[in-house]
Amino acid sequence: MAGLELRHIGKTFDRTRVLHDVSLEAGDGEFVVLLGPSGCGKSTLLRIIAGLEPQTRGSVSIGGRCVDDVSPPDRDIAMVFQHYALYPHLTVRENLAFGLKMRKEPKTVIEERIAETAALLKIDDLLDRKPRELSGGQQQRVAMGRAIVRKPKLFLFDEPLSNLDARLRASMRVELKKLHRRLGTTMVYVTHDQAEAMTLGHTIAVMNHGRIQQIGRPDQIYQEPGNPFVAGFVGNPPMNLFEGSYRLHQRELEFRAGDLTLRVPFQAQDLGGADSGTATLGIRPEDVTFDPPGSGHVAIAGTIDLIEDLGGDAVVYLIVKGQSLVARTSPVPTLRAGDSVAAHWPMDKLHLFINEHRGPLPSS
Amino acid sequence: MMKPLRPALLGGILLAVLGSLCPFLWFVLTSFKSQIQVEAIPPTWWPDGSLVFYASALVEHRLLHYVRNSVIVAGGTTVVALAIATPAAYALARLRLPGKTWILGGLLGVAMFPPIIIAGPIWQILERLGGLNTHWGLVLPYVSLTLPLAVWILTTFFHELPVELEEAARIDGCTTWQALYKIMLPLAAPGLFTAAILTFIYAWNEFFFALLILTDPERQTLPVGIALFQGEFIMPWGEIAAASVVATLPLIILVLLFQRGIINGLSAGAVKG
Repeated sequence: MAGLELRHIGKTFDRTRVLHDVSLEAGDGEFVVLLGPSGCGKSTLLRIIAGLEPQTRGSVSIGGRCVDDVSPPDRDIAMVFQHYALYPHLTVRENLAFGLKMRKEPKTVIEERIAETAALLKIDDLLDRKPRELSGGQQQRVAMGRAIVRKPKLFLFDEPLSNLDARLRASMRVELKKLHRRLGTTMVYVTHDQAEAMTLGHTIAVMNHGRIQQIGRPDQIYQEPGNPFVAGFVGNPPMNLFEGSYRLHQRELEFRAGDLTLRVPFQAQDLGGADSGTATLGIRPEDVTFDPPGSGHVAIAGTIDLIEDLGGDAVVYLIVKGQSLVARTSPVPTLRAGDSVAAHWPMDKLHLFINEHRGPLPSS
Repeated sequence: MMKPLRPALLGGILLAVLGSLCPFLWFVLTSFKSQIQVEAIPPTWWPDGSLVFYASALVEHRLLHYVRNSVIVAGGTTVVALAIATPAAYALARLRLPGKTWILGGLLGVAMFPPIIIAGPIWQILERLGGLNTHWGLVLPYVSLTLPLAVWILTTFFHELPVELEEAARIDGCTTWQALYKIMLPLAAPGLFTAAILTFIYAWNEFFFALLILTDPERQTLPVGIALFQGEFIMPWGEIAAASVVATLPLIILVLLFQRGIINGLSAGAVKG
């Protein structure tokens, strides 16, 4: 049974289309992450799932039931908001109890659930405080608690960690993952943070301009990005993308971007009939090295512009034939800004996009 | 702040406080004088602490009877005005209404009219409705005159409250109305206090409509009652002063009690909480 099913969702605000034909399915107990830059429509989509915003077209099903005409209180969902949205005038205990009271659960059940949830989230000693007496991390836990305590069919998270500092964010991420494993409830999680998306999601739906760009497992999204947007958005530092043109020779694809020319051995595959046109070529910074090239590597000469030493590894900014190229390597103490180096990468790590779509992989 | 500014600022504050307090101080002092002191020329400053005027205002002029009428009218006005203003302000703050700015601007514009313009029509309407010389007949125009201010204050307040809270309440199982009175109203309490007190003060002090609508001494409110203290031959200054002190005290107590709330209410939106 599907935990959540979105069919052809469209949304228009005052004549501006913010969502175009979004379809998405989450299996029961699946953790789905909606990942995208701000303004891509991911939060609107979440609000449509919650029923806080009506969709202009399409339909939403939760747990196999169409909820298009069901108001938020009756959708059996819980939502954790970006700014927590704890009720400031109620204590933590009252905040947790609020949803249960509204659903007229018996008092003993409410107390039992609160105790259970508080223990799970380690907020037992905060129960009698008001939200303003809590730290950001504690407020975050209470907000999660308020969602968990209701035992809903579906959890919705709207960038819940974005207000925490980096360290707390990392630890909450781990806890959230454990929490999901323990509860086994379907979760939809909105974020613009790719680290959160990669670590939390079973499935990631990358969104941009109100459209889903790609849906897949985190490793698929990373290894086989479906278009230049996904390629550039996922990965840190982002993938090097060169926009240029290609021409197909017999067993070789010649790619040109400005002064940069690359010849890529190529297994004859269908490129939609066209043997030349515009294309985008991508290579991840972590696939670029300065070691002596191995077999099947392509090497190009460049100049080092800047080195960022991050301790464990280094980010090297290069100028290659007038184009910038970023490499992420283990620190190379001998390299300095201004040095000429040969950058190279395994041929099979290249990503080719033709007409905004992933082209066939170059063969090594 | 630059140093030379300080004495000038302090002087300004002192002037403003003294300037506005002076008349009040004078009638408070007068209320404790004796008849001879009131009429003395040159005037004596310090009263001898006589309570004669209080006794006479309370007993002979039936002051408490006017207090009672004022409490009914001002209290009624406050309750009715807030009951209407709260949902109106909530809607104005939350809904995507066409012409919202025009509605708010219109309310403000209406509040600017001098009361004399609507005095005639109001009198005629009330006469038809049988509202002359009744308390509700006075509450009705008071409500319509205080609504703009109350709606403005409350709209600002609701606007400040995060929408997320309301959405959280919706998801927790509240209807829109439940979200309003269980979550939003308790949070808007400072705004409600401010609107309530300003409305109450207006209705408590209002003279013009009260004089127009209430000709029956049995129904008259404090300001009208006090103004009509004057006898046939003498002006009872002492009694008027004593009555004015009695009339002002409840307001001062109210304002002092809810001072923090009122300041919060008036400065809503100025500083992020």
